[in-house]
Amino acid sequence: MNKNWSRREFLQRASAATLAALAAGAPVSNILSSCKGIGRMESSSDTVILLWMAGGMAHTETFDPKLYTPFEKGMEGNRVLSTFKSMPTILDGIQFSEGLQSIGNVMDKGTLIRSYVAADMGHILHSRHQYHWHTCYEPPQTVAAPHFGSWIAKELGPKNPVIPAFIDIGQRFTVGEAEELKAFHTAGFLGNEFGPFFIPDPSQGLESVRPPVGMDAKRFEKRNQLYNELINNSPVGEFGSDYQRESLKRSMEQAYTLLNSPESKAFDLSTEPKESYNIYNTGKFGLGCLLARRLTEQGARFISVTTEYEPFKGWDTHENGHTRLEAMKKQIDGPIAQLIKDLDKTGHLDRTIVVLASEFSRDMMVEGKPDAKVLEQVAQPDVLSDPKFYGMHRHFTDGGSMLMFGGGIKKGFVYGKTADERPCKTIENPIKIEQVHQTIYQALGIPPETQYEVEKRPFYTTPDGKGKAVAELLS
Amino acid sequence: MLLQTLETFWLWQFLARLHPLMVHFPISLLCVALVLELVDWNRKSDKLRSGITIIIWIGTLSALMAVMFGWMLAGQGDYGGDSLEIHRWSGISTMVLATLALLSLKYKRLPLYRAFLIVSVLGVSFAGHYGAMLTHGDDYLSSVLPFHKNQSTPASATPDFLLANNGETLTPKQVEDLNIEVRTILAHNCYSCHGEAKTKGDLRLDSKDAMMKGGENGVVIIPNHADKSELIRRVSLPSGHKDAMPTKGKRLTEKEITLLRFWIEKGAQWPEGKMKSIYRVAALEPRTPVVPAPTANLSKPVDLFINNYFQKNKISWTNVVDDRTYIRRIYLDIIGLLPPPEKVDTFVKDPSTDKRETLAKELLNRNDDYAQHWMSFWNDVLRNDYSGTGYITGGRFDITKWLYTSLQVNKPYNWFVKELISPGKQSEGFIKGIKWRGTINSSQRTEMQAAQNVSQVFLGLNLKCASCHDSFISDWKLEQSYAFANIFADTLLEINRCDKPTGKMAGRKILFPELGEISVDANTEKRLRQLADYLVQPKDGRLYRTLVNRIWAQLLGRGIVEPVDMMDNEPWSTDLLDWLASDFAANGYDMKKLIFTIVTSKTYQLPSASVKEANDIMANNFKFTGMVRRRLTAEQFSDAISTAFNPMYADSAIVVKLLPDNTRQKLPFPRAGFVKNDAFLTSLGRPNRETVSTSRTSQANLLQALELTNGTKFTETLKRGAKEWLQKYPTSDLLVTVLYRKALGRNPVTKELVVAKKILGPNPSEESIQDLVWALTLAPDFQLIY
Repeated sequence: MNKNWSRREFLQRASAATLAALAAGAPVSNILSSCKGIGRMESSSDTVILLWMAGGMAHTETFDPKLYTPFEKGMEGNRVLSTFKSMPTILDGIQFSEGLQSIGNVMDKGTLIRSYVAADMGHILHSRHQYHWHTCYEPPQTVAAPHFGSWIAKELGPKNPVIPAFIDIGQRFTVGEAEELKAFHTAGFLGNEFGPFFIPDPSQGLESVRPPVGMDAKRFEKRNQLYNELINNSPVGEFGSDYQRESLKRSMEQAYTLLNSPESKAFDLSTEPKESYNIYNTGKFGLGCLLARRLTEQGARFISVTTEYEPFKGWDTHENGHTRLEAMKKQIDGPIAQLIKDLDKTGHLDRTIVVLASEFSRDMMVEGKPDAKVLEQVAQPDVLSDPKFYGMHRHFTDGGSMLMFGGGIKKGFVYGKTADERPCKTIENPIKIEQVHQTIYQALGIPPETQYEVEKRPFYTTPDGKGKAVAELLS
Repeated sequence: MLLQTLETFWLWQFLARLHPLMVHFPISLLCVALVLELVDWNRKSDKLRSGITIIIWIGTLSALMAVMFGWMLAGQGDYGGDSLEIHRWSGISTMVLATLALLSLKYKRLPLYRAFLIVSVLGVSFAGHYGAMLTHGDDYLSSVLPFHKNQSTPASATPDFLLANNGETLTPKQVEDLNIEVRTILAHNCYSCHGEAKTKGDLRLDSKDAMMKGGENGVVIIPNHADKSELIRRVSLPSGHKDAMPTKGKRLTEKEITLLRFWIEKGAQWPEGKMKSIYRVAALEPRTPVVPAPTANLSKPVDLFINNYFQKNKISWTNVVDDRTYIRRIYLDIIGLLPPPEKVDTFVKDPSTDKRETLAKELLNRNDDYAQHWMSFWNDVLRNDYSGTGYITGGRFDITKWLYTSLQVNKPYNWFVKELISPGKQSEGFIKGIKWRGTINSSQRTEMQAAQNVSQVFLGLNLKCASCHDSFISDWKLEQSYAFANIFADTLLEINRCDKPTGKMAGRKILFPELGEISVDANTEKRLRQLADYLVQPKDGRLYRTLVNRIWAQLLGRGIVEPVDMMDNEPWSTDLLDWLASDFAANGYDMKKLIFTIVTSKTYQLPSASVKEANDIMANNFKFTGMVRRRLTAEQFSDAISTAFNPMYADSAIVVKLLPDNTRQKLPFPRAGFVKNDAFLTSLGRPNRETVSTSRTSQANLLQALELTNGTKFTETLKRGAKEWLQKYPTSDLLVTVLYRKALGRNPVTKELVVAKKILGPNPSEESIQDLVWALTLAPDFQLIY
């Protein structure tokens, strides 16, 4: 390396690979001691995109439709299994609920899971089930459990050193239950370093990775230069180096590199061709999918895109379930299908797992599980006098649908089954959260026994390291 | 695809296991080839050449096969680490070298061929050595060397049984020591699968009776017959064998196996009476060590104990820090604020010899400022926050008012603890824990949370493992955890082991029965009062050691014991810890007095120590040489910006309703310890206080740097402040000087002034002020406590 280069020049010329090497060699240490002898396994995926259907997505209204019963005033709720017609998908004999045809048409590229069973945690609290889904541990916990994305960030590091390893798109923390949401949107004991990089509004994504508003590139560069000169000219420099001083300087350098990198353009949705932008632009979630695609192309590691959880909004339908779901489907159908197609076209889908999931499902009558009902929280009459009662309004944990695409996941495959009559619960191949996590970890090459000692207690990626990958899902 | 390669086909497994057999061909053949070649060389003939050629051919081919099989074996075995990689690549290199030797021989490049052959032999020896280390352990060879130092000896002063005993009977002391060694090996390697929580093969190795009884395959130990004992056979099998133990984790070392064999040969004896713990257990009772005699320069007990420690560790005293460094340090440590420039000047100019003590006293007497700073520390420790989970459903209560008042009036620590354990309405939040809606795992019930948090925070011990199953890291048992938790419970909790109900109940018992007996039938309120009384007794030295250690860690960057929640670990100075705790008790459990004692010691005033790696601070072999350099906490940083430049938070951000009346008036400005947590403070390390959090890391990271580089909170403060400063300080010289004085407590040196003026020009602009303040406040000088 030419020693006369200024650091700026160096950073500009340095490829992502050299930066990665620098980052790897840098003494980024922490107080965790890892278990010995764990290497990487063979992997089929490098990146994960989680499409989060926040608030409880009813399987019978989306990817696992049952008998359609149109609304009639005075009808018995118990008769209603689905409030939408079923439509064919590209897979023989597999139908989706009306409004999800675009996703149905890309199912030859992924796996449909119809047997997700959420945990039994008594009285329903969305954020508690979400905490469980995202960390694999039921709250409260005696140690701060890391988010799924933080584990991946910790184990695999950033794929491209200038793109934060864990990016969380679409969730604001100013809504109800925000504190509960914050409790799992964290790297926990793994340390802030592996925590989420929040982009609450994807159309504002660029603002998180560019110099502060109103500061042009030249000024930004000058400011950084000043920072370095001040450090170099300070008399305290005589105290010599230590890790705190060095880690401060290094982190500032990394931030500067990111904000100045060509990759940061990926955060700017305005540079997306109009035609493509319009397909994605069904709202915040759709644009989140677009941002996720662009970041994947630039080397993101873990991205979560959420329809956003806010009590009684989005998928959290306590009334008007039917009409609300029409709108939700419009939001997700086009962008998700396009995301899969785009990633497939560029070849990124081969090494990227896209997962669609929700904390639990919904049903019109059953709250909780059929054999373990919990306190009802929705005033749902047995006889539907008003269209607002027409929809899946209760929280159902005994069945649920998920989609998985790419990164070694089987194509055109259907796993699991729910009953065709109420209660539409899982009757074949139930799959639980620790299996979901471990299947994805396996595809990423993260061994099941991955653990860290926290307060001398081993804390595994899945509880006690017992999560088993579902072999059938992987090709 | 992926799974098929993971689930290994039997033939590959079989071939892989031929690797240890196959490797001996290239080793011996290449060596023989070289010997023969040397003979030829010496005789200057080539009579043996045709034979050598064949040997090298076979040697090279077998090397190729060894490499292939080896690669498979590495993929499926429990091997890993550096040795494996070195072995792998040196093995491959050897194979390549041998091939090159063969080729050069074929093309009659004699010198080249000889060179390659020699290097191949060196390579095969090297690879072979590392291969042997993988099978036999790293120290297989070196352990028998006379100058080898044994590093794996678990406890100090262990007699060498093999040498000490030649068929003679063991003394009771030796029986006990040997038994402890054996239990230590078993605890570290076997208990997790053969213990109370998991009992694989129906075998438990964690008690005498269970161990002698054996498992589903019969007895595992036949006293006096190590060779016939199944346990020895299993642990001695090569890794990969289906019977080999342990199946997970590292294998036992030769030394450990030898010890187990020896113990069985000697009759597999257990000592009579109560068994000694295999874990280090700190004393419960207080101890008052004799203060060493004063020396010419030292008179304070802390310094005299440190003097002893320094002498023992060959560390010499250095000069204490200058006034500017001291005043900045002590301001930040006692009240969490930067010293105002005028105060710094007066202090530096003050000729009196006791000015540092006077300053310490003065700061400690600023009751509200003191409370406002220490609030953040105690909020972390007591898991108290202004927002967080649980509040929404009435499942959590804050203790803010109580805590603020307690710190402000400097409540004696014994009372402080008492009011938290046997609480009134205002302080009940700590033991009430966080209750989420729905059913909760038994190990997370609020009563168990109380047991865990009380033991962690006040006693520095970890009950978290033992609230699910008997601990593998201490002697705490599941039943003891439940008995302790039951003190907080209105109705007895059913013992759950790993979340499965056992149908058993524990009574109600304090963790250290020597502190007193809980009245089992009294109501909860009365029991809690009893518990509180027992725990704060002077004879509970552990409570006070835990506290003084926490305060020491806050002020000096590292505890005398670390981690600060594991008080059974060995202190780097037992005398110092014990003396501080007993002095604390003698002074009426006065936290301010304790802080005064520490910050006025010469020890505290030593220059800060730097470390190369974050891990060095926590390392077991840590040597104290002075305060470990620390980073400003989120709150200190934010408050420093607020005082040196412009307030970070608006008045409206203060959680006024949660504070005692009139506290707002006592806050000099909206201090960061009194606003709800946000992205800015989180990124700088303020924890989310969902769990007890007793230390913060000072490691910087990318997300934090991004928040500081373009986050709105900081950027807006810079913009607001720049506007005001431009009005107040119209010239660059003045502005830079004021900024340095406020931010760093000193004038800028010439070089700094030049750099700063380069960006400001002769007359500053709003933008250039923002940039200068940004650069200065993010520099290590500002962010670290030196």
